[in-house]
Formats: sequence, C-alpha cells, structure tokens
Amino acid sequence: MKHRKATFRNLGLALVVLALPQLVHADTDWVLESSTLSYHVSHPLHQVDGVSHAAKGKGVCQNGQCNFLIAAPVKSFDSGDSNRDLHMLQVTRGAEFPMIVVRTQFAESEIASGTVHADLQVEFAGQTAQYKQIAFQLVTQGSAIKLSGTIPATLTDFKIPAPSLLAMAIKNDIPVRVEMSWTRSQPK
Amino acid sequence: MNRGTLEHVGAVIFVLVFFTSTVTPVSAQTATATLSGKITDTSGAALANTEVSVKNAVTGQVISAQTDRSGSYSIANLPPGDYEVSISANGFDTKESRVTLAAGATQLLSMSLAAALSLEDLGISSAQAQGNAKEQARLNKRSQMLKIHQELGLITVAPLAATVLTGIFAGGKATSTTDRTFHAALGSATAGLYFSSAYFAIFAPKIHGTKTEGNIKLHKALALIHGPGMILTPILGEMAFSQRSKGERVHGIAHYHGQVAIVTAGAYGLAILSVSLRSGPAKHDVHHALAIFGGHHSQQPMTLTDSRAQAELGASSADANGEKRP
Repeated sequence: MKHRKATFRNLGLALVVLALPQLVHADTDWVLESSTLSYHVSHPLHQVDGVSHAAKGKGVCQNGQCNFLIAAPVKSFDSGDSNRDLHMLQVTRGAEFPMIVVRTQFAESEIASGTVHADLQVEFAGQTAQYKQIAFQLVTQGSAIKLSGTIPATLTDFKIPAPSLLAMAIKNDIPVRVEMSWTRSQPK
Repeated sequence: MNRGTLEHVGAVIFVLVFFTSTVTPVSAQTATATLSGKITDTSGAALANTEVSVKNAVTGQVISAQTDRSGSYSIANLPPGDYEVSISANGFDTKESRVTLAAGATQLLSMSLAAALSLEDLGISSAQAQGNAKEQARLNKRSQMLKIHQELGLITVAPLAATVLTGIFAGGKATSTTDRTFHAALGSATAGLYFSSAYFAIFAPKIHGTKTEGNIKLHKALALIHGPGMILTPILGEMAFSQRSKGERVHGIAHYHGQVAIVTAGAYGLAILSVSLRSGPAKHDVHHALAIFGGHHSQQPMTLTDSRAQAELGASSADANGEKRP
C-alpha cells in the first residue's frame, strides 16, 4: 500500500515537471472585444477629436513573446462633422489606403507588470511609421484586460500635408488615444 | 660554405624570424568570428530568403545576409563583440536576439519564426483592405473644389460688407445717382463672387454613402436663405434703382430690397461662422470610453459611422465590436 502511494506521488511529480515548460510557454491568443481610438487635432479655432470604435484586433503570445495586430478603417473615425471627416479621408488618402494597421511586439512578462512598453509599426496613409517603447497601462478586469495609452503620432510621420481652415494650418501633432478591452481566447 | 654565404643565410633567417614574430600578433589581433545557423518556421520547415541582419553594438555597423534553400546562413569576418541580430521574412514575425562573438569562434544561432498575423486573421478580406484610386480621385477633386469655394466665399465678405454699408447712403431721399451706381457696382461684384463660390460647392463631387452631420448641416441650411436672397436682392435693387432714377419713391416689392439684403448678408455671415466654430465629439464617444473603463454595459446604439464601418468589415465584425460593445 505504502509502495503504491509512493508510486502515485512520483508519477504526480513527474507529470508536474513535464507540464511545467508547457505552462510557462503556453500559447495565449487574445481577441479585441471593444475599443475607442481617438485622434486629436489642434487648430487655432478648433480642437477636434475623431473617434472610432471599429477596430479589430488579435494577439498571439508564444515563447514569452507577444505579437498583436490591430486594424481600423480610416473612414470609421467620426469627428462629429461629416465634411471634416471627408476632408480627413482625402488628406490621409483614406480611399487609396482604407485601413490603419498597427503591429506590435512586447515581452509577455510585461502583461503581468501593469505596463507594457511596445514597439509599434503603424501603416497609415500609404506610409509606415515606427514608434519605440510606447507605454500602455493595463488593468485586469476578470478575464479581460483594459489597455490604455497614447501614440505620439504626427502628420510628418505619414507625410500628410497639414490641412488648413481660414488660412491657418493645424498643428503637426495628432496624438492618438487608445483604449481597448482584450480577452483571452483558446489557441487554435 | 664560406663566411660571406653564412652571413647571408643568417640575415635571411633573421628577416624571416623578425617578420614571423611581428606578423603573428597582428593576425591574432584581427581574428574574426562567424555567425551561422538555420532559420525555420514553427513546423521546422526551412525558410529560404530570410534576411539576417547583424548590428555591431559598438560601431553600429550593419551586415546582412540571406538564408539559402536549406534555410542556412553564414556571416563571416565579423569583428568579435556584442551584436544585435534581427531575422525577418515575409509573412513572419521579425525576431530579434543578442549574441556575443568571440575571436576566431563560429557561433551558431538558429531560430524558428512564427507566422505573422494577417488582416485575414481579423476577418478583413483583401478586397476590403484594397484601395480605390478612383474614389481617392473624387475625394481629391471634391477637396480642391471646396477649397476654392472657401477662399472665394471669404473674399466675398469684403464687397458684401461694403455693399451693405453703401446701401445706407444709396437709399433715402437725399441720395445721388453716383451713390446708387457705386452701391449697385459693389452689389454686382458681390453677386459675381458669390455665385462663383457657390458653383464650386454645388458641383464638387458627391461622396456616396455619406450622411451630412455636424456644423456643415447648418452651413447648408443657411444656404437655403442666402442663396435665394442673393438672387432676389439684386432684382429688387434694380427695381428700386430704376424707380429712384425716374424720381419716384421706391414702392411695391422693391421697397423690401434693404430688408432682404440684410437677412441675406446675415445668413451668409452665419454660414461662414458655422464652419469656423467647433463641433465637439458626440456624447456617445465619451460615454463609450467611460463604459470600457467602468466595465458597465449600456444600451448605447452604434453610431452611423460605426455601422458603416462594421458593414464594410463584414457581419463578424458586428459580433465582435458591435453587439457586445459596452
């Protein structure tokens, strides 16, 4: 009986040891549940925020490294004025390049730390811009993770000519505020 | 062998020994390292034509190589030291690593690359991500025409204001023909500029599927006042001018020339202001952002823009970002 108990214990230990690397390097898939992306434009007469909730995203964490892909249609941004949105679509060549695509990488261990420092590659207006070590705050709520941060984008990053109103051009800075809710999903 | 010959042989040996002893340390100082390895995908299949770049951490010098058919690469003659290695292949996530190369050593660095996520993985087809050059050309033409509309519209303000002001002196009993002619000339210049500006707004290409929202709605509504006003004012003005030139008192509908002109100029001024003032983000956007962070759900409907974007991204998008949205 004693011998049998010891055998079971050893077997249990062996299983734990075998499973440990799998647990440490378990693949995790993430799905974007909801999002608010908003760009901010400054003009001497206006402060404009264009908002989109239409982003779609997916992330895969493998061997401690996470890769995420997020995409949103350029025309989904709503500034509250259809004329301005159409003008934004024109200057950003939104009909020619209809999607904003963001790829990012960071270490999986950062998720637990509450802040990730992500390297972003943003495709927009036919250009690709890189942003290094952008900080995003993470808050865990049940099975979901809420992420927030700001991408310090500028018009020149994407070679967008500054639109003007009443002969006054907008500022070069167009910071993009990111608020997202991600949930874990079962890897395929 | 005589003494002279021995001296020559000795000199040759000395020279050889000298060069051997001096050259050897030099070659030891320049001993280089080699970095090699094999790049595969996660299934173990070799990845050909993968770019392997090594960047010297001290000098910043970058040397690149490509993998062969078997996924193998080799970068020789690298000065010893620390290197940042970047491995990238089309359709795969870029991987980065650091290595320290020792003099004379061959360091092995093999890696497997995971397939990169694609737009198809998000349910976005290549057709949806495809650009439309024709639509972009329409947008460009529209913006170009509306820019001219805006510029001409602003220029129109000057003769319009002058026409209204000279109207004070053109009306009444004690006015001269010169006053009336000057007023009429300014009015004609205003009308010319106004209708030129209107042309560029009316004939700017329309973008299908766009609903008018925001301050532009008021701008367009005011055009329904100042547009007819700009037609009616000169007609009434001409009638009033004619009556005064005959020495008659302005009578009939011509009597309303001044009032119509004031309403027209007022509506025009408001139309310009309406597109110059801020129209803030819709309340639902703030609400939505709060809902995400507050974690509570509301019955907030999707905006038109959202529904349009969702429709473009397909029905699955609505499931992910529409129905379940807080």
